[in-house]
Amino acid sequence: MALTTAPDPTRRGTGSVRPDANRRGTGRIRHGEGLAGYVFLSPWLIGLMGITALPMLLSLYLSFTDYDILTPLSEVEWVGLANYERMFTGDPSWWHSVRVTLSFALIAVPLKLAAALGVALLLNRAWRGVGLFRGLFYLPSLLGGSVALAIVWVNMFNREGAFNSFLALFGIQGKPWVNDPDWALETLMVLAIWQFGAPMVIFLAGLKQVPTELYEAASVDGAGRFRQFVNVTLPMLSPVIFFNLVLETINGFQGFTAAFVLSNGTGGPVDSTLMYTLNLYITGFTDLEMGYASAMAWVFLIAIAIITVVFFSTGRFWVHYSDGEDR
Amino acid sequence: MHPATHPTASASDGRTYRTLLPRRRLLRGLLAAVVALPLVGAAAACGDDAASDGKTKISIFWWGGDARAQLTEQALDLYTQKNPDVVFEKVWQANQGYFDKLATLTAGGNPPDIFQIDDNFLAEYAARNATLDLAPYQDSGALDTSKFPPSLLQYGVVDGKLAGVAAGENTQGLVYNKTLLTKNGLPEPTTGMSWEEHIAWAEQVSEKTGVPGTQDPSADYKALWVWLRQQGKDLYAGTELGFTVEDVTRWFELWKGARDRGATPTPDVIHEGNATDITKQLVVTGKSATSWVWVNQMPELKKNTSDELGVIAYPGDPSGQWARASMYWSVFRGSKNADIAVDVINFLANDPDAVKLLGTDRGLPSNLDLRRVISDDTTDEAMKQSIAVETELAKTFGEAPQVPIKGHSKVRAELTKAAENAQYGRATPAEAAAQFVEACKAAIAS
Repeated sequence: MALTTAPDPTRRGTGSVRPDANRRGTGRIRHGEGLAGYVFLSPWLIGLMGITALPMLLSLYLSFTDYDILTPLSEVEWVGLANYERMFTGDPSWWHSVRVTLSFALIAVPLKLAAALGVALLLNRAWRGVGLFRGLFYLPSLLGGSVALAIVWVNMFNREGAFNSFLALFGIQGKPWVNDPDWALETLMVLAIWQFGAPMVIFLAGLKQVPTELYEAASVDGAGRFRQFVNVTLPMLSPVIFFNLVLETINGFQGFTAAFVLSNGTGGPVDSTLMYTLNLYITGFTDLEMGYASAMAWVFLIAIAIITVVFFSTGRFWVHYSDGEDR
Repeated sequence: MHPATHPTASASDGRTYRTLLPRRRLLRGLLAAVVALPLVGAAAACGDDAASDGKTKISIFWWGGDARAQLTEQALDLYTQKNPDVVFEKVWQANQGYFDKLATLTAGGNPPDIFQIDDNFLAEYAARNATLDLAPYQDSGALDTSKFPPSLLQYGVVDGKLAGVAAGENTQGLVYNKTLLTKNGLPEPTTGMSWEEHIAWAEQVSEKTGVPGTQDPSADYKALWVWLRQQGKDLYAGTELGFTVEDVTRWFELWKGARDRGATPTPDVIHEGNATDITKQLVVTGKSATSWVWVNQMPELKKNTSDELGVIAYPGDPSGQWARASMYWSVFRGSKNADIAVDVINFLANDPDAVKLLGTDRGLPSNLDLRRVISDDTTDEAMKQSIAVETELAKTFGEAPQVPIKGHSKVRAELTKAAENAQYGRATPAEAAAQFVEACKAAIAS
């Protein structure tokens, strides 16, 4: 029962051929029903068109102009590909922000997923009070993009912060983490990793879907716990891992709030926390180069789209869907 | 959930389902649309800001704290008292994020009629024609600037247009912790000390008190600016930079020397102090004995520490400093009520009651006659002190430089980056200076 009503991420990958589509008796949606559907959808569609699609198209147009926010739109000048050219050939700080963002995502995302999976495995047991622990581990994610949390982080990881007091107990001299250009980004990574609650909950849901018979069969075949993890848990969980990987990678690339708060909106010290989105924000709103910032946003969008497509095309080699075999 | 998406499969029910449900669904859908439509309409109606009672509404936007908000609101209420047909839409917020908001409002076609702005952004706005040229109002007498110090007025001119009217005057101020010095029997710094003497003094303070003597201001454009002027250079010259790589190298080397001698805090603490936020200035957080600020920030600094503070000019020849407009009032070029907006600015600058209300919160009053009245009347100690210091400094003020040019905000960011690169030892002063100048050239060229 619970299996069918709970939101089931393992089914996400099953694509368009949902088996329950057949339950309607005919596979087709009747004409009137379709219209009603669109009418129902209309508030959302209006929102999509007005709030997302139109501004996006406008920003695409602006990315080919010298728009600076203050000049009326009617007076902007078309500059062709100049903004894109400048980005790739004439802007060292753009390249720098690309490097910062890539290293952030490449390190923080895998570690966050590993932490989420590890804790999910620990909490996937029938302990007393396991619910409490699940709640506690999920808590940091609820605070998600919160400014307050970033401020706490800054105060914990500066020279006189709680973390250094803790290190001092062991006679270790800490660093001014958030104010040290060699460590500021790493401090942000730790913050991101610590907020592993959301993927953890999804992993937990996925773990509950793995049929126990498989473990029984594996142990009859003489597989130890590690073997079971590698040969049963991981393959069965691969759709969930895939889902989390795609989602967290996109999130990782878009990290903004913590970097903004930690650096007072500058990306400092010495540009060490100049994430792509922060650079974009500074370019658009402080330097008032909104045309150029729009171009940066479009390059960013396309880059994320490419990465997602790469994930999906490699997915079929390692993501294992077990449609309808169980239950 | 289930009944709706999972109709029963029996044949007779299926008939009913086919004929009745679509219509019912259609009706519900229409209902949803009808419910949603007024929302859209309501959202559109919010944009209408015409005052319904025949009064003119002037929107005004400034940054600052609670105290400034109270004073400004009182002064504006006074205007409404004298001109009952004019009401104000007052919006204010903290400094951080102010210019983002102002830019966004302007982009959205809904900018305030009057806005507060400072020299870091004045040219950015004026060069893009967002500010109204106030010179014609000066000529017609609608805007009276006859009592302003000429150089203060001149400091609001961009490309030959009067882009902003100084809301107050201030100048660079070196604020030091008096309590700390007296407690340790150390001499107070004085105006006119050379930069070398200042650094030697700071070294002595570090040794005796354990508190670093001076914040390293190499990332601070206003300190660099004063120093450059003392060398016969400037921050900008026309649309070019007013200095060379060699100048900046010497500036960075001066402070590298100070750091090596222990006159300053460690780079991470310097970085903390480089934030523009008043509450983070090292002299009030106790992490350094001096901070490099503007004189009119004294009362605000005082609120954040129990120690007694003193203020003098930056080191070197004090004629490197000038009567700087701490901030301006500007009128949006597209304002529909520009005449009234100018009259409000005129009122805030020249009406004795309004000026008395506003005090020195935005700097010394621009109107010299009224400035005298204020300084005689005030009872606030910190205000008295900043007036006294600035009046003293005004005697030696040099000529005002040109207002920083378009691209200045980026130049400031690049200076911080380059100076911190040198501070953290990631670049030599010469390398950092070369980086900085190159980045500046790109910033002001675009």
